[in-house]
Amino acid sequence: MLSYILRRIVATLPVMAIVALFVFSLLYIAPGDPAVVIAGDQASPEDVERIRQSLGLNRPFLVQFGGWVWRILHGDLGTSIFTNLPVSAMIGQRLGPTLSLMIVTLLLTIAVAVPLGVVAAWKAGSLIDRVIMGFAVFGFSLPVFVVGYMLAYIFALELEWLPVQGYTPLSSGFWPWLENLILPAIALGCVYIALVARITRAAMLEVLQQDYIRTAKAKGLGQGGILFIHALKNAAVPIVTVIGIGIALLIGGAVVTESVFAIPGLGRLTIDAILRRDYPVIQGIVLLFSFVYVLVNLMIDVVYTLVDPRIRY
Amino acid sequence: MDRRTVLKGLAGAGGLALTGLSAPAIAQGASARTLRFVPQANLANFDPIWGTQYVVRNAATMVWDTLYGIDSSLQPQRQMVESEEVTDDGTTWTFKLRPGLKFHDGEPVRSKDVVASLTRWSARDPMGLMIKALQQELTAVDDRTFKWVLKQPFPKMLYALAKNNSPCGFIMPERIAQTDPFKQITEYVGSGPMKFAKGEWVPGAKAVFEKFTDYVPRQEKASWLAGGKQILVDRIEWIVMPDPATAAAALQNGEVDWWENPIADLVPVLKKNKNISVDIGDPLGNIGSFRMNHLFAPFNDVRARRAVLMALSQEDYMRAIVGDDTALWKPLPGFFTPDTPLYSEVGGEILKGKRDLDAAKKLLAESGYSGQPVTCLVAQDQPITKAQGDVTADLLKKLGMNVDFVATDWGTVGSRRAQKTPPGQGGWNMFHTWHAGADCINPAPYTAVRANGDKAWFGWPNSPGTEKEVASWFEAKNLDEEKAAIGRLNKAALDDVVYAPTGFFLSYTAWRKNVSGITKGPLPFFWGVSKSA
Repeated sequence: MLSYILRRIVATLPVMAIVALFVFSLLYIAPGDPAVVIAGDQASPEDVERIRQSLGLNRPFLVQFGGWVWRILHGDLGTSIFTNLPVSAMIGQRLGPTLSLMIVTLLLTIAVAVPLGVVAAWKAGSLIDRVIMGFAVFGFSLPVFVVGYMLAYIFALELEWLPVQGYTPLSSGFWPWLENLILPAIALGCVYIALVARITRAAMLEVLQQDYIRTAKAKGLGQGGILFIHALKNAAVPIVTVIGIGIALLIGGAVVTESVFAIPGLGRLTIDAILRRDYPVIQGIVLLFSFVYVLVNLMIDVVYTLVDPRIRY
Repeated sequence: MDRRTVLKGLAGAGGLALTGLSAPAIAQGASARTLRFVPQANLANFDPIWGTQYVVRNAATMVWDTLYGIDSSLQPQRQMVESEEVTDDGTTWTFKLRPGLKFHDGEPVRSKDVVASLTRWSARDPMGLMIKALQQELTAVDDRTFKWVLKQPFPKMLYALAKNNSPCGFIMPERIAQTDPFKQITEYVGSGPMKFAKGEWVPGAKAVFEKFTDYVPRQEKASWLAGGKQILVDRIEWIVMPDPATAAAALQNGEVDWWENPIADLVPVLKKNKNISVDIGDPLGNIGSFRMNHLFAPFNDVRARRAVLMALSQEDYMRAIVGDDTALWKPLPGFFTPDTPLYSEVGGEILKGKRDLDAAKKLLAESGYSGQPVTCLVAQDQPITKAQGDVTADLLKKLGMNVDFVATDWGTVGSRRAQKTPPGQGGWNMFHTWHAGADCINPAPYTAVRANGDKAWFGWPNSPGTEKEVASWFEAKNLDEEKAAIGRLNKAALDDVVYAPTGFFLSYTAWRKNVSGITKGPLPFFWGVSKSA
């Protein structure tokens, strides 16, 4: 197993290299010029050109790319064109809020979606099943920002239970940290919950028709034991896969959620960087997201071996 | 249901919910000594000479002081300067600094700091560049006195040092001001009334300013950038909120105290909330602009440009930008900011009265236009440019023009508009923007009205008549001469259609009623603003 994990980690290097080349090339050919944004509306073309020179944006593609790769190999993601702060520091500032949001969303999803999916499968065809799946379709169809606004209206403005916006770090206390994340996590989690609930139901339906489930029932095992110990464990592989794939959904959804709830996370940093053509920041974030995604896939593969002992690498 | 409806619904419901509010929300509880402010944009960098965005300038006015400050009557007043003398021939200016001025690091402000700061500023600022071109020497005489010797008089010297247009003549310590003007500074030490808390800065999310207790305000009453800058709170937090509905909800919920520029759609909701005050923020407003490329057909022919002006309805543009609130806009048959001393309507008849589409079509045909595509750059991520773009597309189609509507983002417009290649080869025929009214009160900061061909702003208009009157204004010795020059300038610029003004519009600002001392002006002024619990 250890050698497999090491092999997979080594295999991420060419993937990251391809991503790096792709992102750098894409940004190089994309329209827009950070020097123009920096110089402002009143600037002369000469001013813009001098800023481009000072930022090194007028150098040939290969020189720029080579320099960037060389810095990355030395653990330096570069410096933001606009803030003059190291990209790694900017990502570090934003990692906490995004990570918090994703963790809370992930836990919420697993806590809500898996039981819902199991119950729906258990009561397949019944009213309960239809209600749960109806909610799933609803959750799947609603855009994140609509859910976000609705939640903010009800729980922040009407009931005044929770704040409308912002983020408080965990170091300031558990509740202050959590209260800022509850509404965004629900908004972001809606689609994810719907997806996982549907997959859980489908996987469970298949497992519940297996002979060993009938045997378990014949042996007189309790319904809970059958569903959550025997059936769920055997249905876990597709569920784990979807939860993993869903992390990509979360990353995309976080961009909108962080804007709606004014959370200073990586999603907002991404949008700001793209709109201003802050190339080093965009490149740093894309690399980070790619790495996270590769890492999540690796974790999923490892989890497979835990939920299904037949899988060995 | 579209997104705008959802926004209004949320904010509206919030307004109703809070109409009878008395208990504070769970999220409230910030100290009355902290003012929480939602700025117009993200403070992405903090070098007011290197980056000239308004948001940077606005924050910089707290941290860096200026030698002179513009007041609400648009006159320069002494700020860091105690006195000045100018020789009879107008070529040698001697300035003396106020005693007791200190930087945030405890060092006194010395003349050498001023010299280094003005040197850096004059390398980037249009007026600074004009002074630099005339400069013989700029030297520190002693710690509190410095001298600026010119080859010929520059009557607008004090205005240049006082103006609020970006970049302002901010004074920094010499070691910082010696930074290349095309590179960013890395230390944010000024002598203004607030210190910048660099450690708490999260670009894109938050910027914090703390009261500078050693600041010695002037004794005069504060007026815009002039007078005594008395800070009445300990801390000002800028909280960036990209989503207007979130900002509206946060203001209603008491999570923020002051929102610089609420969008027009949400203002009715805010007005209904008894805890919130709403008023026009900047009386100098903004001027909408439809900018044509004078280098290529069809707009290289003045008849085509005039045809557009004849057909253009400013009301259509203004309603598209600010909605149906007629208090927020007015027609503008000229280029200069209404209700300011130099406002002029001379030559503005072409923009007045009923729009004559038939005459415009005839003039367009005379210009030789024969259906070639007109590349219209429209930034969709800026509500003002998007609204103008939609109106223009309709206008040009009514004129029988073949519109190549390029829907893109502001970053792309920003770089593409600098292209002087033909429209079919990466260039363009027209784009939209808007100018802050504060930049359009006279020709000094008003780059967009200049018409010196290759050196002019994007579109590169060439109008010798306009340029002649710009020079006349700079040489004018009194207000009457200035007004006369501006009248002639307005006419020349409209005759040649330097650009098409699409109207004058205002915007609101909103704050909680426990905040007092907010004044109208071209930027948010934090001195004199206090907050009760």
